[in-house]
Amino acid sequence: MSFAFRLLLRDIRSGDILTLIIALIISVGTVTAISLFIDRLQLSFEQQSASLMAADRLIRSDDEIPQSWLVKASELSLQRAENTSFSTMIFAGDTLQLSQLSAVTDRYPLKGAYLVDDTLFGTGKSFTKPPQKGQVWLSSRLASLLNVKIGEQVEVGESRLTVAKYLVRDPGSSSSAFAIAPRAVMNMADLASTQVIIPGSRVRYSLLLAGNRAALNEFEAWVTPQLNEGQRWRTPTQKGERIGDTIGKAESFLLLAGTLAVILSGIAMALASVRFVKRHLMQVAVLKTLGATPKLLVKVFFIQFTLLFVIGVVVGLAIGWGIQGIISSLLSELMSTSLPEPSISRLWLGVATGFISMVAFCLPLMQRLIKISPMSVLQPSLKFEQNTLVIYSIGFIGMYGLMCLYTKGFLLPTIMTLALVGIGLLVTVIGFTVFRLGRSLTSGATSGWQIGLASLYRRLVPNLFQLLVFTLIIMLGLILVGVKSSLVADWQQQLPEDAPNHYLFNVQADQIPQINTATDQLGILRSDWFPMVRGRVISANGESVQTLYPEEKGEPEIYERELNLTWSETLGKGNKLVSGDLAADGLSIEQRVAQEANLSLGDTLTLNIGGNIITLPITSIRTVDWGSMQPNFYLILPKEILQNYPANFVSSSFISDDNAQPFYKAMSQFPTVSILNIGDLLKQIQNVISQLSQAIQLVLLCILSAGGLVLLSSVRSTLEERLEEGALLRVLGARKALVQQALFVEFGALGLFSGLIAAAGAEACLYGLQVFVFQSQASWHPLLWGLGPLIGVCIISAIGLFASRTVLNVPPMHLLREF
Amino acid sequence: MLVKTAIKVTNLTHTVTANTGDLTILKGINIDIKEGESVAIVGASGSGKSTLLGLLAGLDVNTSGEIALYDQAFSSMDEEQRALMRGQYVGFIFQSFHLLPSLQAVENVMLPVELKGDKDARNKAETLLDKVGLSHRLTHYPNQLSGGEQQRVAIARAFACSPKILFADEPTGNLDEGNGKIIIEQLFELNQSQGTTLVMVTHDNELAKKCDRQLVMTAGQLVEKE
Repeated sequence: MSFAFRLLLRDIRSGDILTLIIALIISVGTVTAISLFIDRLQLSFEQQSASLMAADRLIRSDDEIPQSWLVKASELSLQRAENTSFSTMIFAGDTLQLSQLSAVTDRYPLKGAYLVDDTLFGTGKSFTKPPQKGQVWLSSRLASLLNVKIGEQVEVGESRLTVAKYLVRDPGSSSSAFAIAPRAVMNMADLASTQVIIPGSRVRYSLLLAGNRAALNEFEAWVTPQLNEGQRWRTPTQKGERIGDTIGKAESFLLLAGTLAVILSGIAMALASVRFVKRHLMQVAVLKTLGATPKLLVKVFFIQFTLLFVIGVVVGLAIGWGIQGIISSLLSELMSTSLPEPSISRLWLGVATGFISMVAFCLPLMQRLIKISPMSVLQPSLKFEQNTLVIYSIGFIGMYGLMCLYTKGFLLPTIMTLALVGIGLLVTVIGFTVFRLGRSLTSGATSGWQIGLASLYRRLVPNLFQLLVFTLIIMLGLILVGVKSSLVADWQQQLPEDAPNHYLFNVQADQIPQINTATDQLGILRSDWFPMVRGRVISANGESVQTLYPEEKGEPEIYERELNLTWSETLGKGNKLVSGDLAADGLSIEQRVAQEANLSLGDTLTLNIGGNIITLPITSIRTVDWGSMQPNFYLILPKEILQNYPANFVSSSFISDDNAQPFYKAMSQFPTVSILNIGDLLKQIQNVISQLSQAIQLVLLCILSAGGLVLLSSVRSTLEERLEEGALLRVLGARKALVQQALFVEFGALGLFSGLIAAAGAEACLYGLQVFVFQSQASWHPLLWGLGPLIGVCIISAIGLFASRTVLNVPPMHLLREF
Repeated sequence: MLVKTAIKVTNLTHTVTANTGDLTILKGINIDIKEGESVAIVGASGSGKSTLLGLLAGLDVNTSGEIALYDQAFSSMDEEQRALMRGQYVGFIFQSFHLLPSLQAVENVMLPVELKGDKDARNKAETLLDKVGLSHRLTHYPNQLSGGEQQRVAIARAFACSPKILFADEPTGNLDEGNGKIIIEQLFELNQSQGTTLVMVTHDNELAKKCDRQLVMTAGQLVEKE
């Protein structure tokens, strides 16, 4: 033990082992920093989404919430609140108005806050308590329709309630997009006395829960089997919801960034281990001649590597913790919000990275050291006897395992691994061809160009390896830059500043010209008007929905409820024809629902529209961009059929803060028209998106810096040979400029080719990532083709020349003595 | 008094695999080296001198025949046991010194003593370095020493465990004449004071002449030079 320890201390002092420790620290540190940061972001998104939902978890039910659920929630120490929501008439004197009324318990909302105001059409202040008993809050529109002010009374059923505030936003409203009527909130304690809920009333009951994740999960596991068709368990980041998708993509990006960090750390460890072994082979051989037995050497290295592991992991974790703290506080400054504290339990990933890196990269190399023949001290050519391929394969498998562990899946690691193998082959073929060509084009050593190009071929294997490492690092950087820019562009494109934030419903055909005039006067942007007729699908291909889904289990959405049907001669904004013909005399169906219901072109659907039964074939399939905030429809029918039914119209428009008040005033002339304001939801999403964009830029910066460090250590790893050659050239009388030029040509050429191959690799990887991981449209990235070679030439030659500056400034004798 | 046999080689043959096929480097070699004897192995470059030296020290395994140090045959040992034998009986001096670059001069000398588990390594190393005239260079690293100084450190390291047999591979091959002489003097002085058996591969006739016996390697055979 003590011998191993002394040897290690001496090695550390000489700096040889430092490279290995630093590589380990970079590996552990980068992975730890990224995973902790991702954890904090995820927690933050969950909290933000929770505030949109007013709770951590929610159960929506068509029936009253069973008492046993409330008891169970209390047993698990979960906070709970209830919300009972229904449409009802509210009276103020002789005026009456249909409204969407929520009765909530005192603890509602568990997350987030109401936005209320004391002035009509005000922008609102945050308020975390619901109305008190005897009070009601009315939305400004409802108040103006009823012509009541704060302090006046309205009648709800048998009760009289006092208007206490104007409601700007209800924290749970994002999940009730179909609430068309203007909103009002009252206290649950008043609900019974109103007597508005009678058997058969359409009421939506919600149970809201908040608390620690374990208890919530336990509740979910307990309650899920008891849920019936009319009951839904909801989490804040439900897949398919806009915000859920956005966060999902950001998480994929961060996961990708983390995976790339794992690869980078693998490269760093491989480089450091190779250097360590190279510098220790002869030492071990000498130790063997001095009588060190293989057993002793195994013990010595085992103890040394264990110590290295402990030092590397402890320091790496500490640095990782520090870095994520810095990133988070930078982000907080930008966003003026603070992130939740990271979970210490996430640190295991850093430890696993350290362990797998050591096992995958150091152990095979250690074996190589132990196996070195002591005879090589007399015959140095004996040194290399173990199959390098085996060593790198073990490293590669280790890295793959680590990526799988990290991403908890195989898709991303497999794409990245295939890309790495492809790049390896490409580098070998292109590198060999180009280096050889360079050699055959040059002879003699009169210029730096000739010496530089000749060097490329002379040190073929090390240069190919170096080319591979450079290529990988640049490629990883380019992939991240590419994904980041397309992701951010994608998000920004999805939600432009003037994305529609209001829907106008229930508009009669004769109101359209008046509303158009009113909105045009205010300069409000509006989408086209879409006619809407209600109808229900009753059978598919002649088989009734009841026969197809007797227990209503797994019933596709289009059979489940009454649908809004429309007609249209052209494809709306965000719609894309996948197959068939929109103008044909049949149905056009949205692709996702068609897949869900297993329908394709030529299948027939029978609809009940206003009591009439109509059967039509599917003649076209469309995709719809649900993020476009335009009115979108699952089914489009021929105009000839629908125009015979009474239709109302829908449109979406963008109302800025400035013209909100005049717009609401103008719309109060049309009391039957319903307005759905999704502006707050959009703002929240835009906020999350900008937070995410900032976050991924910071992570990108972090990874690129780690990449830069690895690049530097990669240049250093082959520096000795170059320095020796440079020193020799200077001994032979070469001028500084010649040596400099030769080094520049060699590094520059390596940089150029690695940049080009990296751009190709990154483009291929991005294709795979966009199609399979982010499920977005694959696109071409011209920026990468310029950036790759530029970074390659500039950064690599700069690092190379900087690292080699000693050869130019130190007397050659000093250098030669070092070798 | 009966003098012990330090090294006994019987019918030693060694074949290596080269690109062109199998190549027999050593062909039926027989030697007896007595304890305390100094033997020089001379011969042309590539004649197999260093290979023989490596085999005698148990650094490699011969193809056939027998090598025994103090009556213990290598053929019956694995690498573990051979390493223990080396630790117990053998010291080395190499043409290119082979000091560990990460260790100071004194630490290089301490190394074999520490490997044996001896707690007094530093004292022993300092004494030996003093003997070779390097007491003022104890904490220097190899790259801060001249070639001659490095070889003197290597000599000190070789004698640190008082080996019974010292193998030297061209000990003056990388040194100028002046330094070479100093090395030879110190080598023989320590050799005699410790009663070590010395087996040396060399091109240097002067050095060879100083030895008790000279063996010439030609075409895989070893012949005694009269």
